[in-house]
Amino acid sequence: MREPRTAREEERQRRGEGDGSSPETRSSLLDAIRGVKWPALRAVAGALPGGHHSRLRGAAPELSEYRVYRQGDDPKRIDWKLLARSDRAYIRLAEDRSTVSTLLVVDATASMAYPDRTLGKWKAACDVSVGLAAVAHASRDPVGLVVVSGDGMRQLPPRTRRGIVGELARALDDVTPRGSRALAPAMSRIRSRIRVAIVSDFLGDADDVRRRAGEVAAAGGEVHAIHIVADEELDPPARSFLAVDPEDASLARPFVAEARAAYLERFAAWRSELAASWRVEGLSYTIARVSEPASRVVRRVAGAALGTGRAAPDVRRETR
Amino acid sequence: MSFAAPLFAWVGGAIALGVVALHLLAWRRPPTSPLPTARFAPDAPVRTVAPAVRPTDLLLLAVRVLAIILVSAALAGPRFPSRIHGLGRVIVVDRSHGSEAWAYIDRAARSIYRAGDALVLFDSAARAVRRPTVDSIVAASPTRASGGMSAAMVVAIRAANELQRVRDSVEIVVVSPFGSDAFDGATASIRRVWPGTVRTMRAGTSANDTARTRPLDVRAQSGDPVAVALSLDGAALVGAVRVVRDSATAGDTAWARQGGAVVVWPSGPAQWNARPAGDTAFGVTVSTLVWGSPGMPARSATVVAPFVRRAAPPPGRVVARWDDGDPAATEIPLGAGCMRSVAVTVPPAGDLALTPAFRRFAEQLAQACLGAHAWAAASDSDVETVLPGTTARGAQQTLSVSDTTRRDSAVVRWLLAAALAALVAELVMRRGTANATA
Repeated sequence: MREPRTAREEERQRRGEGDGSSPETRSSLLDAIRGVKWPALRAVAGALPGGHHSRLRGAAPELSEYRVYRQGDDPKRIDWKLLARSDRAYIRLAEDRSTVSTLLVVDATASMAYPDRTLGKWKAACDVSVGLAAVAHASRDPVGLVVVSGDGMRQLPPRTRRGIVGELARALDDVTPRGSRALAPAMSRIRSRIRVAIVSDFLGDADDVRRRAGEVAAAGGEVHAIHIVADEELDPPARSFLAVDPEDASLARPFVAEARAAYLERFAAWRSELAASWRVEGLSYTIARVSEPASRVVRRVAGAALGTGRAAPDVRRETR
Repeated sequence: MSFAAPLFAWVGGAIALGVVALHLLAWRRPPTSPLPTARFAPDAPVRTVAPAVRPTDLLLLAVRVLAIILVSAALAGPRFPSRIHGLGRVIVVDRSHGSEAWAYIDRAARSIYRAGDALVLFDSAARAVRRPTVDSIVAASPTRASGGMSAAMVVAIRAANELQRVRDSVEIVVVSPFGSDAFDGATASIRRVWPGTVRTMRAGTSANDTARTRPLDVRAQSGDPVAVALSLDGAALVGAVRVVRDSATAGDTAWARQGGAVVVWPSGPAQWNARPAGDTAFGVTVSTLVWGSPGMPARSATVVAPFVRRAAPPPGRVVARWDDGDPAATEIPLGAGCMRSVAVTVPPAGDLALTPAFRRFAEQLAQACLGAHAWAAASDSDVETVLPGTTARGAQQTLSVSDTTRRDSAVVRWLLAAALAALVAELVMRRGTANATA
């Protein structure tokens, strides 16, 4: 499936600029995730036919089991042939498959615009988001988008229509990550029984987001946390510099050789604590390095639903 | 240059190096770089010590180092033995009065001239030769002008003062025939301005120490007041002078024609133009007749006394006048000499002739003819009187260790003042830098 180029991509292509989110890279990503399924973690309650197991068992062509007719069952569902053969009234049950709305909540605050020269975190977030949207849309799931940046919040409600993935990609490409804004309020209007994928570095209101995600999960929803981490954050430059938080200029810390070890230790501990806190509440947590191919991240997120998801090799130990 | 306490200089140099090192290890804010996970870095003071690859505030550093060096140099006590050891001389060469004595003067001057000496040439005017050499003396040509020793001493003292800056000691050497006309009343005073040594070197003439002892040729009766006055004065006579207290004879006239000066000073009533009886004057003044002798420079002489005027001198060049302006003495050229007529009647009685004023008056009148003055060398004693070799003040002001100490102390004061100025400038610049940074 090849998504149409956005105007910005065409402009970049015309100027000969190439980067990690070039159309070819996006196309190769979509090619790499073709056939990947992203099943719901639990049976969904949707009525529309889809690719996920539904909690409803009805008149689907695929037989699941027979059940003795009880009062109140629809007589139309009685298997008359079986009744004729065994003189017992059974109703025919079938496993329904339904769709699940998937909402991608993407963090576009200033912390995602890092490294400032390549915007690697933001591009990785976009690629992972588009990949997840494509996988969900392949299962005929409605796909929506919420982008939270310092400029405000942009929202695309979940849609199943053709080309929704392209719209999502264009919407993401039109956003420039900057400013500071909390993610949790963006999740307050999420209705229950929906699949939410949060793509963020969780350097903002991580606790509030996790708390709101737990509420969504408790209401029957499904929440996936995709933690984007830049390689420069895992291995900062060796030179001495004054590290300034892009979202809080008052937060400046001298980064010298003596502080490096302490930084690495604190950052690793925070990541472990973050992963543990999400998993304790039964939420899916996946860490993704910027240098890691987006297709691999998508497969890992989708595999988490099947119980085969693995953490990124480089950060596996840290997220256990 | 050396130091009295070189340890201070070494310590100052070490401190200056330390200041430079500290300047290069500047406390500064490291370069800012965004890092979203900055919160995980330990909180520490933002300023860090980093070697300044491209040092800034170089002017401030220079001022600091300068202040330290100045203070250390002042404490170390600099000494400046920069003077050239040895004697420096100012050779004053007289090139006046033609070439009679020039060969001797030239030879004498060249014999004493050494490289580095100053050279002053003078006749009626004086000038210092710039970058003199021995050839400068050779190139100098004699002139017919009379010598002016005062002007020469002024220029020589100026040159000596300049030479004193680079020499241990300086003396002025005057090479001259020392004619009596070279001196004037200011010469001795000018000489006293120079505290150092003045050495005289007579060349071309011999000392004229006998001229002043030549006996007077006075024809007068015994006990004549004029003869007595001239004999008491010692009569610094120059040239041939004959004083007659009666009337001039044919022999006197012939003698005058040969270049002598005959002073006809009748003791009684003269045969000249008679004046009204009872004409009395109370003062008579003789103008300058001579060029002046070294010991007694030329000047007018006035006698204040009641004089009975009985006659007026014959017409001629007036050499003395009464107080009312009438001529009292005239001079008439006669051949190579002259005939001087003096119509001043000196009373035979009284002590007028013994007064210094009258003796000077008589001396002035008993000089050679105005137009036939002969050049004569001054005596050594007169030269020594006007240009003494040393002065009492000079003995005290010769260059000595105390002078060097005073000079070095002045240098220390200047160094400390400059260091203070540098420290003030450093303070101002540091505040300016701080304001700019803020």
